[in-house]
Amino acid sequence: MIRYLSRRLAHGVLLLAGVSMLLFVFQKAAPGDFFLGMRLNPELSGQTLQGLRAEYGLDQPLPQRYARWLGSALRGDLGPSFAYNLPVTTLLWPRIKNTLLLSVPALLISWLIAIPLGLLAAWRRTGWIDRIFSGSTSTLLALPDVLLALLAVLLALRTHIFPVGGMTAGTDAGESTAGLLQHMVLPVFVLVVGSVGPLLRQVRASAIEVMDSSYFRAAQGNGLGRTTLLFRHALPAAANPLISLFGLSAGFLLSASILVEVIMSWPGMGPLMLEAIFGRDLFVVIGAVMISTLLLVLGNLLADVLLYFCDPRIRVQS
Amino acid sequence: MSSSAVQSSRTASLLRAEGLHVEYAAADGARVCALRDVSFSLEPSQSLGILGESGSGKSTLALALMRLLPSNATFTGKIEISGRDLPWLSSSQLRRVRGAELALISQEPALALNPVLSIGRQISDVLRAHSDVSKKEGARRVCEILEQVGFEHPERVMRAYPHQLSGGQKQRAALAQALVCRPSLLIADEPLSSLDTVTQAEVLDLLRRLKHELNLGMVFISHDASALSTICDRVLVMKAGQTAASGTWEQIRTSSDDYVRGLQFTSGASCSDASSRISPPVLNAAPVLEVRNLSKTYVQRQMLSREKFEIRALEDVSVRLMPNATVAVIGRSGSGKSTLVRCIAGFEIPDKGEVLLEGDPVQKRSSVQMIFQDSSTALNPRFTAVQLVAEPLEIARAGSKKERIERALDLMAEVGLEKSWHSRNAAEFSGGQRQRLALARALAASPKVLILDESLSGLDLSLQEQILKLLLDLHARHNLSYLFISHDLRFLPMFAQQVLVMEAGRIVDQIAPNKLWTSSCPATRLLTRVNQQLHARHAEVHS
Repeated sequence: MIRYLSRRLAHGVLLLAGVSMLLFVFQKAAPGDFFLGMRLNPELSGQTLQGLRAEYGLDQPLPQRYARWLGSALRGDLGPSFAYNLPVTTLLWPRIKNTLLLSVPALLISWLIAIPLGLLAAWRRTGWIDRIFSGSTSTLLALPDVLLALLAVLLALRTHIFPVGGMTAGTDAGESTAGLLQHMVLPVFVLVVGSVGPLLRQVRASAIEVMDSSYFRAAQGNGLGRTTLLFRHALPAAANPLISLFGLSAGFLLSASILVEVIMSWPGMGPLMLEAIFGRDLFVVIGAVMISTLLLVLGNLLADVLLYFCDPRIRVQS
Repeated sequence: MSSSAVQSSRTASLLRAEGLHVEYAAADGARVCALRDVSFSLEPSQSLGILGESGSGKSTLALALMRLLPSNATFTGKIEISGRDLPWLSSSQLRRVRGAELALISQEPALALNPVLSIGRQISDVLRAHSDVSKKEGARRVCEILEQVGFEHPERVMRAYPHQLSGGQKQRAALAQALVCRPSLLIADEPLSSLDTVTQAEVLDLLRRLKHELNLGMVFISHDASALSTICDRVLVMKAGQTAASGTWEQIRTSSDDYVRGLQFTSGASCSDASSRISPPVLNAAPVLEVRNLSKTYVQRQMLSREKFEIRALEDVSVRLMPNATVAVIGRSGSGKSTLVRCIAGFEIPDKGEVLLEGDPVQKRSSVQMIFQDSSTALNPRFTAVQLVAEPLEIARAGSKKERIERALDLMAEVGLEKSWHSRNAAEFSGGQRQRLALARALAASPKVLILDESLSGLDLSLQEQILKLLLDLHARHNLSYLFISHDLRFLPMFAQQVLVMEAGRIVDQIAPNKLWTSSCPATRLLTRVNQQLHARHAEVHS
């Protein structure tokens, strides 16, 4: 187990190193930088700009810049934000919290819906349930998140049941939990609707494979009840691809909700990322991508651990 | 069975089936009839054997009796279990009958158990689906049934997962699962066919004992008349979904029907004729295949511990195969036969020792070809017959495309397949035909050595004889040497010149096949005794 995990962990570290290098190379390939836009400001002289560039180390060659960034990143400092003049970590941290506040519940709810419904659809494969199922998942797959988010905003405007956007009512900074929850409902709903389609299909496909197997037929022949059959026998046997998918979805925790956040004015990573990319706020972009990658690595690690505990065959192999 | 027998049993039959009819809807909309007007009845604690060749509808019958037919099947007919009409039960009533009164064990024990659940949990789930037992009481009863099916350490088995058990152990575990609720009727669908002979005899013994101890009624499905004859009171012979004959063993044995006789007896005449024509092995020449001091050890780690288990699959094994000779390797499963074959064929790299082909280390893989037990998994289902046979030629870049196809068609004809079948997929051939196709494919590589890895054991008796005859013919025509791996000793005398007996990775006995039955080696004696038990009453082949 220890060996198995450490090998996986080493893979993760390599991945992080690779991604960070590629990020530096790519940003170099893109023309211009944050300070290019400031040139138009008559109050700033060319010399001041040069000085600013030197201060952030942007005038140094790429390998040196990378080494400098790596050194500080290892100490937990992801560099400064040019636009906010704040350390990236200070800037990102509350935003990440807000985004996770949306994406983690959305992820869990999606899985909680997808597993029983997917199993049911596989179980009633030839009936009307499955026909409705495949029709609706196709529709869900085809609907873009942006459209869903806009529809949700429209709904909020018309009905006034839910707030139209934002995270708090604004005036009372005390931000009660109930108020927060009320603000969360619509964006989480949009995220769930947007992500549940592929999950449902995956669960159904894995479950069908198990239900075609002879051990499932044998279990049926033993007179097991439906709940036992589906959740105790089919689900664990079908779990492997699902666990891997679950691990992968952790990598999208920060990015899945970007568009929804922008449309529904949720103060998460979405608006900040958009702004940083357009403004070439270099270290903010790099920091955000690195944290996403870190989540991906951790998600896969979690999936590996889960697989290890769920599948006795993997336990023996490793 | 006479109609008066049906009449008298009407009141208390354990199982009564009348006019069973099953049709499958094929993908192209055609309807395939798998079962046609089959009727029988079974008294409590009696056993009925269902005998028939593959494809005769035996497994469909088993599934119909459990109401487990796939959704593309339509069923008509009447099935009564202890007076209740099975086809009309609601799904919750059906659930209460399945496993509690009526249980099924199927062909492939490895596939009947859920790979990710422990044995204990799989058995206790069945128990708790049918009775309100406490966890502790449930565990006690699981332990008890595991002991009853012959496990010495039931607590250990309860914690084990299917992949940690051997084939025979898995079949025992599946049996425990089927019997834990003490059903009155067990449907056994070819429960022996995937096991080696020693295990077959053990499981058969166990079934006989359990039948007696638990007063089980049993429907025992098999293509092996000799195994059936040791456990069943009456037999129903099936052919193409219909009843070909039924009655007591005495009636079946004296039947004049060719089909019924073919399932039970093999004269061996055609084979002995063919075997007389094979040229004798060249004994003073250099061996065509020589295996020297082969050793192979597998290391397995236990879960969450540093403990390692070493499995010595091969220990210092040497084999010499002369040109034109046939050497048989016998032994129970797990004795190292397969590892030996895998090392020779180059699928596995031995830890020690060498494999020499005509004196040199094996260079050209194609000189050693293999025929597997289950040709349905050994042939690519997406290839047509002619593609399958021509592929080795393509790999060897032999001739033009047209020549290769020509040669492939010739080979198909040589193994007794119609040339006009060239565009069929492997799935469209029957078991015996597929084995012929595999042979044609192997011959396309012009091998010197053919490894027959249990190549006959998946087939019915009559088919076994046909394939054997073909093997003997090819042997003579192509100057082949055979390495024949088997756990069935019936055909050895007319086929092999030398028999090697393996046990625990070693060769423990080297003997001429006609002296097998008088060997003093304990491993050999076990194999011959078990073979005699299984085949005592039927199907003895005399060379």
